[in-house]
Amino acid sequence: MKLLDPSFTPPAGQILAQRVQELEAKLDALLASRGAASPLAATPDSTAPTSTPPSQASGPAAASPPLQAVSITGDFQTAPDTETRLPVTGYMDFHVNKDSGDAFRPDFHRFVLLFGHSFSSRIKFWSELEVEHALVEGGEESGEIAIEQAYLDFLITPKFNLRAGMLLTPVGIVNERHEPPSFNGVERPFVESVIIPTTWRELGLGLTGDLGRGFRYRTYLTSALDASRFNAESGIAEGKSSGFDANMRNPATVARLEFAGVRRLTLGASLYSGLAGSQTPTVNPRVTIANVDGRYSFRRFDVRALYAHTWISRAGELNRLMRQQTGVNPNVASRMRGYYVEPAVHLLPRRLRHDLIAFSRYERYNTQQKMPDGFLPLAQFNRSSWVTGLTYKPVPDVAVKFDYVFNQNQSAVLRALNGINLGIGWWF
Amino acid sequence: MVVLMKLLTVTLLGYALLAAQGDGGRKPDRVISIAAERFAFNPSKITLKQGDLVEFVLTSDDTDHGFRIPSAGIDLAIPPQSRGEARVRFIAKEKGEFAFECSRPCGAGHNLMRGIIEVK
Repeated sequence: MKLLDPSFTPPAGQILAQRVQELEAKLDALLASRGAASPLAATPDSTAPTSTPPSQASGPAAASPPLQAVSITGDFQTAPDTETRLPVTGYMDFHVNKDSGDAFRPDFHRFVLLFGHSFSSRIKFWSELEVEHALVEGGEESGEIAIEQAYLDFLITPKFNLRAGMLLTPVGIVNERHEPPSFNGVERPFVESVIIPTTWRELGLGLTGDLGRGFRYRTYLTSALDASRFNAESGIAEGKSSGFDANMRNPATVARLEFAGVRRLTLGASLYSGLAGSQTPTVNPRVTIANVDGRYSFRRFDVRALYAHTWISRAGELNRLMRQQTGVNPNVASRMRGYYVEPAVHLLPRRLRHDLIAFSRYERYNTQQKMPDGFLPLAQFNRSSWVTGLTYKPVPDVAVKFDYVFNQNQSAVLRALNGINLGIGWWF
Repeated sequence: MVVLMKLLTVTLLGYALLAAQGDGGRKPDRVISIAAERFAFNPSKITLKQGDLVEFVLTSDDTDHGFRIPSAGIDLAIPPQSRGEARVRFIAKEKGEFAFECSRPCGAGHNLMRGIIEVK
């Protein structure tokens, strides 16, 4: 006993019994005070929540983890006025659009449910199932039901992980980050709809990882675009396979490098290259897309910007082939280009729990930046837009949006229509 | 003898509980702020010294996220932007690399919203 407690001296039986009683009383008091600290799942004390972490409270097996939890405090617990969590997550997008001269058109644009599952700490599944425009009917032009993503992640090391399935092509800002509260404007940016065809998903497999110091990457081999569906107005957008009847004979390669090492700053660069001639065997054009983008927030100001450039080889041969096959010249360009800049300001003070964001986005995009020899660009496809509006967030995951769109093109004949958009989008 | 054994048991239990209580009141050796945003933690790699008592202050720049350290049995929710913060304290008892991850599905990149605690 001396080894355990140098001050220990063998007491007489009576003193010993008394000391045992005192120590038992202290122990009871300690146990009682620890019992008062509620476990994570218990009813919270909303003023100063403090919890004993489960590893510390759950018996001998968890008594010595390599990282020993001591306490959890703050606003982590569920307060009575917060929302209830469902076993699935998702997002919804309800729009009302009006082009000048047209009536208001309500549209339940997106109804998306996301499901994930962890088979183990290293094998995880993620999926996104989408219904667009509220109605899907066989053979009729209405909505669509689509798998936007469905893949398995095999987590090996932070720098090196495998991913396979239906993948979002890692190009631009919005394609992989398209939850309605995460961007301003009712509709996605034009550049990220035409030059980068969001939501762009393909079948494929690849590598992902965090390189440290804020750098992370994704690089995939994916199914190829279909050049037979390229056209003058929407560029390559109609050529994405979306996983249906996809072609992996000549898989495309895509890579994205991101830097997020400074808080509230994200910089990204993507490169895509792939042959797109699966349906045009005599002409196998190569599509190359390069894009750089960035997002930054400083105090109450946000800014995001993106630049994308697309090259299509053998565009002249593709146009001639399609004219032979269909009688229509798609007038596909050999180069397309687009960029946008969007500054925004949070109008309400940070101490208020509501958020009101005013933004203005300038976009310039041309799906006929350079035409192949023998083909002329059409001026109506050299376009620009000012999108100005407000985003109101009563809570961070609900966005009520309004914007006005001033569209312009270089055509002296075909006038671009302006528009008003209203929308509500939410994530849960 | 039985009385001695009882005394020993109670003494050791008392010391253990007092030691645990003491860690809770000890000032952290390091306080580290971690911001969560779809789909990354910033910083995503944290280097600690063995034996350090560390406090993480967790905030979100968008929706609510989760913060799980499987090695420590820690799993808590980070409140959404402007809705406060969560704090977690732990002792880095052993050297090694320990993953942390978002435990609240937050969108397309959720699976890769991870980081590493390196204890040297």
